[in-house]
Amino acid sequence: MTFLQLVEGPLWYLAVVVFVVGVVWHLVGLVRLGRSVDRSAARSSGTAGALKAIALHSVPHGGNLGRTVYHFVTGYAFHIGLFVLVLFAAPHVKFIHDRILGVGWTAMPRWGFLLAAEAAFAGLILMWVRRLTDPVMRRLSDADDHFGVWLIFLVMLTGCLALQEAHDGLRALHMLFVDILLIYFPFGRLMHAFTFVFSRAYTGATYGRRGVTP
Amino acid sequence: MTTATTIGPSTVNVQAAIDRFQAVIGSHIASYLEACIHCGQCSQACHFHEATQDPKYTPTLKLVPMTRVYRRHKAPLAGVKKLFGLVPPELTADDLIEWKELIFDSCTMCGRCTEVCPMGIDIASIVGLSRQAMTAAGVGPSDLWEAAENSRTRGSPLGLTPQLLEDRLEWLADDNEVEIPLDREKADVLITVSSIEMMKYPDSIVAMAKVLNAAGVDWTISSKGYEATNFGVLSGKPDIAKIMVERLTTAAEAVGAKTLVIPECGHAYGAMRWSGANILGRPLTFEVVHITEMVAKLIRDGKLKLKPTAESMTYHDPCQISRRGGATQAARDILGAFAKDFREMSPTANHNWCCGGGGGVQAMGSAAELRHKVFQVKIDQVEATGAEHLVSSCANCRLTMDESRQALGWTREIKSLVEVLADQLEA
Amino acid sequence: MRFPRTLRASFSNTFAADGVAQGLAKPAARRFPAFDLARVAGGLVVVVLLLLASLAPSLAQSSVRPPAGAVTLAPPGPEMQGGALGNRSDAEVWHDVRKGAAGRVSIPDPNAPTLIQSQGQDWRVFHNEVVKVWGGRIFAGVVVAIVAFFLIRGRIRIKGGRSGRVMPRFSLTERVVHWFMAVLFVLLGVSGLILFLGKDILLPVVGPSVFSLLASASLQGHNLFGPLFVVAIVALFVTFVRGNGFRWVDVVWALKGGGLLGGHASSHRYNFGEKSWFWLASIAGVALSISGILLLFPDHLPGMVAQTTPDAPPARAMMQLANLVHGIAAVGFIAVGLGHIYIGTLGMEGALEGMTRGTVDENWAKEHHDLWYEAHLAESSTDSVGAEVAAAAGKV
Repeated sequence: MTFLQLVEGPLWYLAVVVFVVGVVWHLVGLVRLGRSVDRSAARSSGTAGALKAIALHSVPHGGNLGRTVYHFVTGYAFHIGLFVLVLFAAPHVKFIHDRILGVGWTAMPRWGFLLAAEAAFAGLILMWVRRLTDPVMRRLSDADDHFGVWLIFLVMLTGCLALQEAHDGLRALHMLFVDILLIYFPFGRLMHAFTFVFSRAYTGATYGRRGVTP
Repeated sequence: MTTATTIGPSTVNVQAAIDRFQAVIGSHIASYLEACIHCGQCSQACHFHEATQDPKYTPTLKLVPMTRVYRRHKAPLAGVKKLFGLVPPELTADDLIEWKELIFDSCTMCGRCTEVCPMGIDIASIVGLSRQAMTAAGVGPSDLWEAAENSRTRGSPLGLTPQLLEDRLEWLADDNEVEIPLDREKADVLITVSSIEMMKYPDSIVAMAKVLNAAGVDWTISSKGYEATNFGVLSGKPDIAKIMVERLTTAAEAVGAKTLVIPECGHAYGAMRWSGANILGRPLTFEVVHITEMVAKLIRDGKLKLKPTAESMTYHDPCQISRRGGATQAARDILGAFAKDFREMSPTANHNWCCGGGGGVQAMGSAAELRHKVFQVKIDQVEATGAEHLVSSCANCRLTMDESRQALGWTREIKSLVEVLADQLEA
Repeated sequence: MRFPRTLRASFSNTFAADGVAQGLAKPAARRFPAFDLARVAGGLVVVVLLLLASLAPSLAQSSVRPPAGAVTLAPPGPEMQGGALGNRSDAEVWHDVRKGAAGRVSIPDPNAPTLIQSQGQDWRVFHNEVVKVWGGRIFAGVVVAIVAFFLIRGRIRIKGGRSGRVMPRFSLTERVVHWFMAVLFVLLGVSGLILFLGKDILLPVVGPSVFSLLASASLQGHNLFGPLFVVAIVALFVTFVRGNGFRWVDVVWALKGGGLLGGHASSHRYNFGEKSWFWLASIAGVALSISGILLLFPDHLPGMVAQTTPDAPPARAMMQLANLVHGIAAVGFIAVGLGHIYIGTLGMEGALEGMTRGTVDENWAKEHHDLWYEAHLAESSTDSVGAEVAAAAGKV
């Protein structure tokens, strides 16, 4: 078995299983911690509040935006760039078609790929660099923060290095980091990709019942 | 005044804190602990951080002790992570002592941080629960605990016993020639008081009585349950919190009240209106409203005749009434009914800056210096409006601001909204 | 060297049109001096105009048109003529071809008529035997110099030891921009060096299959991060230009060898070495950016440049020039950059924290930037967190 066959075969399946089972286990475990019923008399709808909060906390609001602007710009550049790359890069579309869903869609042209990659890299590097230098973020950051950034950076980097699609070795390297990322995902702060919905929704529901949009 | 300086690691019951942390973590709290990505945006919303610029006052740092316990003991997959040594170390007494200032002295649970948080994390509620764990371990401000114990043993944090209540109400009624009903058998409305008002700003009790009487409200105060403040909630003593809620509930149900009115006190509103039923473990049989909501309704119903005034006014939103209480509009309805020159601060309403003394911080001697420093934010805000009068609807805010303005030499007086309103009643 | 089938076909067609049925077999004998650009350009313009005049009606109806830039681009060599008489030998034809002679083609590609770009050879020789060789020697020299300096001088310590007082030095903006550039420096530097010297250094060691993988990866990575570098170099210049103007005190500093030769060398916020590095990085950075962008878009940019600038060199020459500029600027940037990295980390105690925490020890400031230190005495404090916050806020 070649290295590529390993990382696209057994290791890939293992990674997907760990990712899916891990994330589901994690989220189910989270919900199963339970929450006692709120017996206070609601002034307004909690569900509406939850939906509002999920939407509202996606954009800066509530004043005091000094710090928010930096994270808003770099954060969206990274996240949008990343999702565009994951879903529309031509090799990904083919991989999704051949190996995951059995259906594919139109991949984006090469210039689109490059634009998305530039945005994603710029955003990620700028967020990480701020983590290294900003007194508040330095005080808050732990190993998990840095590990997550490095992991996603290596996945993106190896993916872009393999852009010529001429070397199995580069493809294999990219797949290796993808596998590591998937395996690590349920255990670290990368889980914020799912937990943010819960967090915003719980707050939104609590405040919504009080007639406040948080 | 005794503070945390007298607490040594040997006297700290760390296990009690760990147990309590675990007990309070439900799915909502766990979501908060998991969702934080350490971006630090909350720091810009916190008056303690903004006034000092010290990164240690970044709100999300207050999540750390609970997060450590959660990730070690309770988080899903913690077992798997333990195999690889990926869980954080056990909490220590030194950690708790180090976090005492963050969990108690430097958080008013005002909730501004939640607004800017991209994850919408309700840090204030986590601080409230963390106080329970710290208190269980024996780490916290002893003056705040004393206030809570006073509530249990003497009925009120400031020692307002039922006897003292009766004496003072009688004295106030006589002095001001106003009827203040105490312990009527039946009444539609049960009025509660804050001992801060009773002991330091008794005029606001008189004003409240005048307004209610002018509107013809069927009301009473009850010696069975009169203290609206709940230092059990603030100090992290759930047993005392429950006693306080039970006293009010018993009194309200005894007089057959349809409505229980919380006086000008922010956290008392949150503790009864939003947490009361949850602390008690059953729905309340009466409605809980803030005095501003009550008065706003009386004005809406045409029960109060008011003289307009041209004097300029600005309003300080108590956090627990506006941002975390949802009664934001009531004060504006009242002011709109007589103040021809009402000026909003910036930011205002649900985004307003805290006075610096909420969440029991007012009662902590160790927090005084920091609290005064923080008050500069509020001074700047008020001065920017150029209004003659600063009005609020929370006696705790008022006391905090009075102390801080004296410490900082700021001459503007802080007025109670109900007192200002009572002055505008048509004879 | 293999040419695409279409190109070969069109080349022989040219000769066929001149009456030489066997193509290259019996070419005409007439020699042109190489690189007679004026004549060639003149001739080409005439040819193009004639072509245009004759083709105008059909061009107007045709959906296939030459690219907009095709008309103005002149092939570099002399035009191949005289074949009609059949009086040239193969050797003469090939000699002309070698000298850059251009034939005629029917496709609208201005480069196609010229089989051999003669100055390509000049470029190749200069690139391989001057830029690469000297680049490699300079890198090796810098590394040797750094190691030697470390062995002899050791780590430059804070003479007075740490004072316990710190001063804000670099603002958050300055640090973010610096590290953004630093990340790109590493990514572009490593990938660029593999492309630049890898064939000579890595290929013999790792073998062709691994090297081709590395080269492919480096090419993609280098192209990807290049555009971000352009943004970073502009940000770097704007952020750091303040205080980087040369002054008399810098001349004195340089004459004293920065204090390395003994004695104290005074300096403001930046010393002579730092200012030189700033300007070198800026100039090399701009050179790298402009040449890099040209190299990134070989199909579009030279044509656009030629359209807007009539004096611009032909496309191929432009690319060759860009390549050489890119290499030379990179050698300078990386060589001095290595020294900068050394002195900013291992080489000097107390320097790195200025770029991470944003603060430096008071004694460090006194020893290395005395004039700046004196001007900023008021911000010195024992409160390290406070100083960090002040630095972040830009009170530097």
